[in-house]
Amino acid sequence: MSSWMQYIKSIPTHMDYDGQARAEKLSRVIITLFGVVGLIWGYVIHQFSQTMYILGAGFVLAALITVPPWPMYRRKPLDWQKPQSEVTVKQKKKK
Amino acid sequence: MHTVFTRANAILAYTLSVSACLTFCCFLSTVFIDYRANATLNTVKVVVKNVADYTEYQTENNDFNQVVLWDKIVLRGDKTVFNFKNMNTKYYFWDDGNGLRNILLLGNKNVTLTLSWNIIPNAGLLPSVNAFGSHTFAFPSEYTSLRV
Repeated sequence: MSSWMQYIKSIPTHMDYDGQARAEKLSRVIITLFGVVGLIWGYVIHQFSQTMYILGAGFVLAALITVPPWPMYRRKPLDWQKPQSEVTVKQKKKK
Repeated sequence: MHTVFTRANAILAYTLSVSACLTFCCFLSTVFIDYRANATLNTVKVVVKNVADYTEYQTENNDFNQVVLWDKIVLRGDKTVFNFKNMNTKYYFWDDGNGLRNILLLGNKNVTLTLSWNIIPNAGLLPSVNAFGSHTFAFPSEYTSLRV
């Protein structure tokens, strides 16, 4: 059991900042594109329900692509500072 | 956008905003359409949506009297060409008072039949359209038990 827990905890679930920005932009583009195409198609065949179905398909696609933290949103990790030694921390507190 | 839930929330909210925008576009597409059509009682072919026949006449109690005599709901894809002859009214000549047969037991001379229809859109205005043309006739002064 513990090995299972270890495995589950080892799955990376975060996105880096650049990945978050790209995920948001991508979802907006997908949903807007499906909405516009759906509106044109619905206007052509005079069926507003088709517009809504196409928008729903865009929502599902955007959810699949941008909601799970796929590895492609983890390509630009931040360079964090190295942890400072305890001595400097104490010095800072004295100040 | 840092967790699964915030991302799911964000795209759901954006989808709803887009759908509201699309619905408004659907509404805009219905505003400037002229639905009026030429239809009289002698017209052979009438393309109608939802139809109601009205009878209009004036009485002392009411300035404006209308009675729906017949209606039909036509859905998308239904046959829209009607050709009725010798049909009975679907609803009675309900009368608030004695306007149709006035006090002197004479028939009302000014009963007008018109054809009008409502169009019910997915989103947009609910136009009540009157057909061009009408038919005015005098009501008989006595009841009959048979077709006249």
